[in-house]
Amino acid sequence: MIRKKSAKSRPRSTLIVAGLASMTLVLAACGGGSTDSGTSSDGGGGGDSTEVRNAGVIVHAENGEPQSLDPARAEQGEKGERIIDNVYERLVDVGREGPDLIPSLATEVPTLENGLVSEDRLTYTFPLREGVVFHDGTDFTADDVVYSWERIITMNLPEGQAAAIVDSVESMRAVDDFTFEVTIVEPDASFLYSVVLNTVASVVSPEAVEANGGIEADTPSEWMDANMVGTGPYVFGEWKRGESLTMIVNQDYWGENAKSDVRWDVTPEESSRVLALRAGDADIIDISPSNVGDVADVDGVTIFEGGLLLEPIHLGFNMLSDDLPASDTIPTDFFVDKRIRQAFSYAFDYDTYINSFLDGYGARYTAYIPQGVFGYDENAPIYEYDLEKAAELMKQTSYWEDGFVVSVLVQAGEPEFEGVGLLMKDGIELLNPKFRVNVVSQAETQFDDNLGADPVPFALWVKNADPGADPHQFFDPHQHPDGDWGSKHGMRDAYEDPDRIADLIDAGKATVDPADRLEIYSELQQLLYEDPMWVYAAQEGLAYPYRSWLEGFTVNPLWRGPHYEYYTKSNG
Amino acid sequence: MQVRDYLLRRLALLPFIMLGVSVIVFTLTRFTGSPVGIYATPNMTAEEISALEARYLLDQPIPLQYAAWIGGLFRGDLGWSGVSVAPVTDVIGLKFAATFELALAAGFIAVFAGIALGTLAGVRRNRLPDHGARLFSIFGASTPTFWFGLLLLVPFYLWLDWFPLGRSTPEIFSSIAHPTGMYTLDAVLALNAGAFLDAVRHLVLPAVVLAFGAMAIIVRMMRSSMVEAMSEEYVDAARAKGLPNKVVIRRHARRNALLPTTTVIGLSFGFLLQGAVAVELIFRWPGLGQWVTSAVLSGDQATIMAYVLITALIFMTVNLAVDIAYAYLDRRVVLGG
Repeated sequence: MIRKKSAKSRPRSTLIVAGLASMTLVLAACGGGSTDSGTSSDGGGGGDSTEVRNAGVIVHAENGEPQSLDPARAEQGEKGERIIDNVYERLVDVGREGPDLIPSLATEVPTLENGLVSEDRLTYTFPLREGVVFHDGTDFTADDVVYSWERIITMNLPEGQAAAIVDSVESMRAVDDFTFEVTIVEPDASFLYSVVLNTVASVVSPEAVEANGGIEADTPSEWMDANMVGTGPYVFGEWKRGESLTMIVNQDYWGENAKSDVRWDVTPEESSRVLALRAGDADIIDISPSNVGDVADVDGVTIFEGGLLLEPIHLGFNMLSDDLPASDTIPTDFFVDKRIRQAFSYAFDYDTYINSFLDGYGARYTAYIPQGVFGYDENAPIYEYDLEKAAELMKQTSYWEDGFVVSVLVQAGEPEFEGVGLLMKDGIELLNPKFRVNVVSQAETQFDDNLGADPVPFALWVKNADPGADPHQFFDPHQHPDGDWGSKHGMRDAYEDPDRIADLIDAGKATVDPADRLEIYSELQQLLYEDPMWVYAAQEGLAYPYRSWLEGFTVNPLWRGPHYEYYTKSNG
Repeated sequence: MQVRDYLLRRLALLPFIMLGVSVIVFTLTRFTGSPVGIYATPNMTAEEISALEARYLLDQPIPLQYAAWIGGLFRGDLGWSGVSVAPVTDVIGLKFAATFELALAAGFIAVFAGIALGTLAGVRRNRLPDHGARLFSIFGASTPTFWFGLLLLVPFYLWLDWFPLGRSTPEIFSSIAHPTGMYTLDAVLALNAGAFLDAVRHLVLPAVVLAFGAMAIIVRMMRSSMVEAMSEEYVDAARAKGLPNKVVIRRHARRNALLPTTTVIGLSFGFLLQGAVAVELIFRWPGLGQWVTSAVLSGDQATIMAYVLITALIFMTVNLAVDIAYAYLDRRVVLGG
């Protein structure tokens, strides 16, 4: 597994831009927003296979395979999440279209209006669906939700997403067989999206868990890593590691049954995936944006253009490391100087990056909200590539005379990330021959190791953000002076007015009224433009080529991958 | 020295060599960074990473970690393969079987075609067959397997649909048992002609591509040895006593020319067995090459170490087999002398 991912692959969730405009209404009776979950364009010409192959089985040629199928252990954005999404269910879900939450194992989505969210916005009550059966034949009740969530808390695996539940849940209980109640530690406008919709909150069969090793604190379950017993539209089939993974239609599903079985063909090489699609052996393939052109004109292939990933690519400024590479000449507090961060922001060629490294499949975002997430302010200022302004700012510092050398850490084999480092190097070195940027490319495990270290031993690094659906999911880890990166990068000492930033971010989380939230986030986008803690490079676009004989293909902005239950494979 | 004694001595040395290899592999692999990287994500706190390290004993000194690993090895525990989400010992056999089947098929093609072409070129020196064979082998040695594989896939897979991608058709795969993990052999054991045909159809293209590079080397080696053998006096003597040309070539010249070629065959088979990374990736062949590529990219040290150990074992076995083959091909060779 290229762990990548094969083995772990870089988080590349299928969260895409669509009208997430009604995200504000998370608590306030989610009203309908306009939704447009992508456009399709039919290719023409070519002479490749038109006869339906693998009748009744949707074949998805994937570039990797899961690291873990356990909701307690699956990392955000990794392949396991895509399978979990189809085999396990959560209390709420999102449907074919739109960002609005729909009932899943719960029969109603809690809101203030329907009284299922308490006045203090701390307690959520979920009435549950009756007659739901796990794939092992046991009945689903409220106790199973408690069991599944407590399992996450007990196992508390740092590689997974346990923190979503551990950090936000105060207490929970089964009120009766079909009512589940949870109390959270503080009002959180993003709770349903960031916690309840998260794969970590999936409901697993307690019988199956107990029969196969049970729950052990701080320890992964080998059985659950490779087996699944859920309630979803698909039953986990067989996993031939490094080769294929199957999911079978759940004939006892509580909702409408899925139509076709699913097989993942693990195909690490992109050229082979393209050939398999053209031959008709694969119905859906993963592809990098720059290769979409290879299949665009093939007869019988349609390209689903799903907009933009909600996981922006950024370059971070670290202001705390006293352990920089030996070649670096900058002091630890180099980037504490706002002018230098601004100069770096001006010296990055955004258009070239999007047009060449992302092959046009990408767009700019503001500080710090990707397009498609509530609160994105299209009038907020963004940096343009302007070497003169960059030089002007650098001239105000002593480094214009003295020069400097700084290294930027990137992950090897990821052209989208390496490109940011290389263009940053180009821009800065054009300013002044005394400036030097070294691009250090490391394999994923070393890269993750370095980024996990505290302090990070590099002053600059490139990565994408974890995907999110609510602005708070971006501001808190990336911009809050005491947030994950805020404390690791030393933002508190670097921000001109750290308390103002912190107050605004905290207020954004606790505020329910959409208009008030918009105002808060607009101010933040303005402030963070002036005092940038990242170079906000770009959002990557998403495209799925699929065989046109697959009916109903779509990918919702908030799914982690295709939801195969909605697709039908015609038989010719 | 008797072949049996020699064999015993070499086999007795094997564990010591493997022990040495294991120390080197373990130490070098640890130099590339802590294996905790495979579980770590950039957002983890230092405490979370320490907890992971403690879980896998990575907070212990290197010699202790080695002792834990080697202790596991003797119990048949090679650790947890992060890329396969399973114990290494559960997976390595399957991966090896896949690669072994492919290497065997490729080796078969390379050896027979290589020796035949090389002999022809050597006998018909500086004539059309010779030029043809040399051109062919230069082409084979200099063609990137990656490109050549795709070149064959477009006509034979995409257009004609003769040879599919992957290793088997899922429905056919699940219709028979797989005691050996080598699908052609499994089909023969199950007496299932359909499954055999399916396995062969999947095997042909990757085997041809993989064979191509090795064949080129065998052709060149065989040709030059043949040219040398044909100019020896014993060949003239054989001709002088009136033997037909065919017999002279087969019994006298080729037998001697095979000697140096045997070494080349042995070594190239070792390389084939390592798993040809590019071929396995392109043809979706779930063998050692694909496995270790994922492992290297994701820093899965348990898998990498197991792979290096098995490769070392393969090369030692192949070298031993070559030495023994020498003794049979040339009685003048004294083993262990």
